[in-house]
Amino acid sequence: MNRDMREPGWFASGGGDMGERIRGHDWAATPLGPPERWPHALHLSLGICLNSSFPIAIYWGPGLHLLYNDGWSPIPGKRHPHALGQPAHLVWPDIWPIVGPQFADVIASGRGYSTADQHLPMTRSGRLEESYWDYSFTPITGDDGRVAGILNQGHEVTDRVFERQRHALLLPLADRLRAIDDADAIAAAAVDALGAHLGCARAGYAEMDLAAGTYTVTHNWRRDADVAELRGTHALGAFGVDLHDALSTGAVFAVDDALEDRRVAGRPVAERYRAAGIRAGLVVPVLKGGQYAAAIFVHDDAPRCWTNHHETLLSSVAERIWEERGRARSARSLRESEGRYRLIFEQANDIIFTADLTQTITAANPAAGAALGVPPDALTGRSIAEFVAPDDLARTSGMLRRKLAAGGTTRYEVPVIGKDGASMRWDINSSLAIDDAGQPTGLHAIARDVTERHAHEESQRRLINELNHRVKNMLALVQALAMQSFKGDRPVEESQAGFQARLAALASAHDLLTREKWEGATLQEIVGAAVLPLAPERDRVAIGGPAVALAPKLAVSLVMAFHELATNAIRYGALAGEAGAVDVHWDRLPGGRLAIGWHERGGPPVAPPARRGFGLRMVERVLAKDLAAKVAIDFPATGFSCLIEAPLPAPAAGIAA
Amino acid sequence: MTGPRAGTRVLIVEDEPIIAMTAEDIIEEMGCIVAGSAATLEQATALAAAGGFDVAMLDINLNGETSLPVAAALHAAGTPFVFTTGYGSAGPGSDFSGVEVVKKPYRAIDLACALGRLAR
Repeated sequence: MNRDMREPGWFASGGGDMGERIRGHDWAATPLGPPERWPHALHLSLGICLNSSFPIAIYWGPGLHLLYNDGWSPIPGKRHPHALGQPAHLVWPDIWPIVGPQFADVIASGRGYSTADQHLPMTRSGRLEESYWDYSFTPITGDDGRVAGILNQGHEVTDRVFERQRHALLLPLADRLRAIDDADAIAAAAVDALGAHLGCARAGYAEMDLAAGTYTVTHNWRRDADVAELRGTHALGAFGVDLHDALSTGAVFAVDDALEDRRVAGRPVAERYRAAGIRAGLVVPVLKGGQYAAAIFVHDDAPRCWTNHHETLLSSVAERIWEERGRARSARSLRESEGRYRLIFEQANDIIFTADLTQTITAANPAAGAALGVPPDALTGRSIAEFVAPDDLARTSGMLRRKLAAGGTTRYEVPVIGKDGASMRWDINSSLAIDDAGQPTGLHAIARDVTERHAHEESQRRLINELNHRVKNMLALVQALAMQSFKGDRPVEESQAGFQARLAALASAHDLLTREKWEGATLQEIVGAAVLPLAPERDRVAIGGPAVALAPKLAVSLVMAFHELATNAIRYGALAGEAGAVDVHWDRLPGGRLAIGWHERGGPPVAPPARRGFGLRMVERVLAKDLAAKVAIDFPATGFSCLIEAPLPAPAAGIAA
Repeated sequence: MTGPRAGTRVLIVEDEPIIAMTAEDIIEEMGCIVAGSAATLEQATALAAAGGFDVAMLDINLNGETSLPVAAALHAAGTPFVFTTGYGSAGPGSDFSGVEVVKKPYRAIDLACALGRLAR
C-alpha cells in the first residue's frame, strides 16, 4: 500500500458510501474533534472498518461515538445515516439495557466480548422487533494504553434463530401428533404447543364451513384462566370483513396493536377485540385446492410485532395440523369401514372365506366355522381339500382355473364334508382377489348352505310322487268300487245308489282323517263315520267301546268295511224294518287282542244268503288282511252277527289310545 | 280277444283288498283261474315259491314294501309276470326293464291284453 497511513485524512477516497459520509461529516462539532487530530489507533481501525466487506462499526471515545461501514449501515434501520457520529446510548436506547453493560465490561476489563444468538428487541421501521445477533466487541487500545474505542463486528441471525426455534417446536410436535388418532385432539395438542412456545395469550385452530358461513374452533390454548374462551362455532365475519377477506384470498392477517390498527380501531369490530382481550393478533389461513379451508391464530393481550417468522411458524403448524387431522380422519373412516365389514363378516349367516391360489384358507367367518365344526381361526392355514371329497375337489380346482384364465366369478354347488362328517351342500359364489398390479392373489368366496333346501326339494319330489301314487290308487279303488257296484243284474238305479253310498263312505273316511291331520282315527270315529250317515234313526244304532287308535290306511279300510255291514243291515237286516237295532261294541281282550262285535236284532227273519255278495266278501277280506283278524259271520234267525277278533293294532301317533 | 288262454292260472299280488277282489273277478270273467291272491310280501313270497300258476301280476308297492324280491324269484323260475302300479314314471328298476307295467287304474281289457302277451 502506497498511502501513508500516518497522514491525516488518508481515507480521502474509497470506503464506499460511508467513506463519503465520514469525509463529509462535521467532526469538529463532535467530541472526536477534526480527523486530523484523531489518534493513530482510530485511523488504523477506521481504515480496517471502511475496507472491510463485513459489517463493522467503531464506537470511539468516552461517549462511544459511532462510525460504521456500508456493511453495517442497514443494522440500525431508520437510524442510518443519522447515527453517524452519535453516542451509542443515543443510537441504541432500545437495546441499551443489554448492550450498555457489555460496552462497560469491555472498557473496564480491556478484554474482547462476543456473543451469539443475542436477543435484541430492536425498534426498526417504527416497530419494536424481536431480533437476534452474533456480534463481538473488540477493545481498541489508545496511545495511553487504555481502551479508547470498541470495534464491533456483527451480523443479524434472526432468520437462523427463528428457523431453529421453529424446528425445535415442529419436530417433536410432528412426532406427538402422529401418535394421536383423534382429529380434535391433534389440533388441541398443536395449538397448546404453539401458544406455550410463543408465550402469547391465546392460540387456536379453526376449520371453515364456507357453505354454512361459519368456522369452528374446537379448542384454544389460553395462557391462564383469565383469557376468554373462543371455542365454538362462529360466523365467518365475526372478527371483521377485512380479516375474512384477507384470509379467504390466502393472505395473512396481522394486527400488531388493535388500538392503532386502522382495520380495527374505531370500527365496530374493535369492541369484539376488546371483549376477547385481543390487543395483538396473527391469523394465517390454510388454503386447500384454492379454497379457504382452515386458519390458525395467536392472540396477545399486549401489542406485539408479528414478523414473517411468526407467519412461517403458524403456517407450518397449521399445515401439520391439517395433514395429521386428514390422516386421523381417514384412519378413523378406514377403521369404521373395516369395523362395518368385519361386523358383516362376523355376523353373516352366509359362509364367507378367502383362500390363496393353492386353495389354502386365509380367513373364514364364524358361519364357516360353525358349518365345518372348526373355530374360524383354526380354519386359517387349512386346505379346502380337507372339506371336499376328491372328485368334487377336482371340480373346485377347475372353477379356480377357469377364473384364472377368464376372470369373473363362478357359482356352483359343491358337496362339503361339514361338522361331525355331516354331508352338506354349499352354493359357492367366488371371485379372484386381485392385487394392485392386477395379479390374482387368491379368492373370495361366499357360500350358502343349501343342504336343507336340497333335502326340502327332495322331500317335495317324493311327496309329489307319493301324491300321484295315492291318487292313482284311489282311482283304482274307485274303479273297483264301480265295477263291484254295477256287477250283476240289479236295477241300474240300485247300483248307482250303492256306488254313490260307497263313494260317500270313502269321502267321509277321508274327511275324518283330514280332521285328524291324517294322523289316524279312533275306532269310535271310524264306526260312527261308516254307520251313522246310513242309520234311519240314531237311537237304533248303539256304538261303544274303549278308545282304540288306528292308523290312517286301516281307518279307511274299516270305514269301507263297516259301510258294507251297515248297507247290508239296511237292505236285508235289522235296519230294513221299522223296529230293529244294531249294536256295535268292542273290547280289549287279555293278551293284547281286540274283539269287535256287530249284532243285529229286531229285524226281519234272517237266513244265510245263497252266495255272499261283495259287501260281506269285502268285510272278510279287508278285516282279515288289514287287521289280521279272525272274522266270524253268522246268520241266526234273531239277526245277523259279525264277530271280529284281531291283535290290538299299534297305536297311531298323535291319537290318544 | 287278445287275452290269455282260458284256464290260465294267475297269481295275484295286490295289497288293496277291494282292488284284489276286483282283479279276481276280472281274471275269472276272462275265463282264467285265480291260482292265489297275496296281499303282503310274505304271502306273495310263499305263494310264488309254492308255484301252481302260469303267470303273475305284481303290485310293486305292498303296503310300503317293494315286491321286487318276488319278481326276482319269478324271473329265476322262468314264470312270466306283469307289474301293476299306481306310480307314474318311477318304474321297478333296470333289472326288470323288459317287464310290462300295467298302470293303475287299469281297465279289464288292459290287464287281459298284458296277461295275454305273457301267456302266448
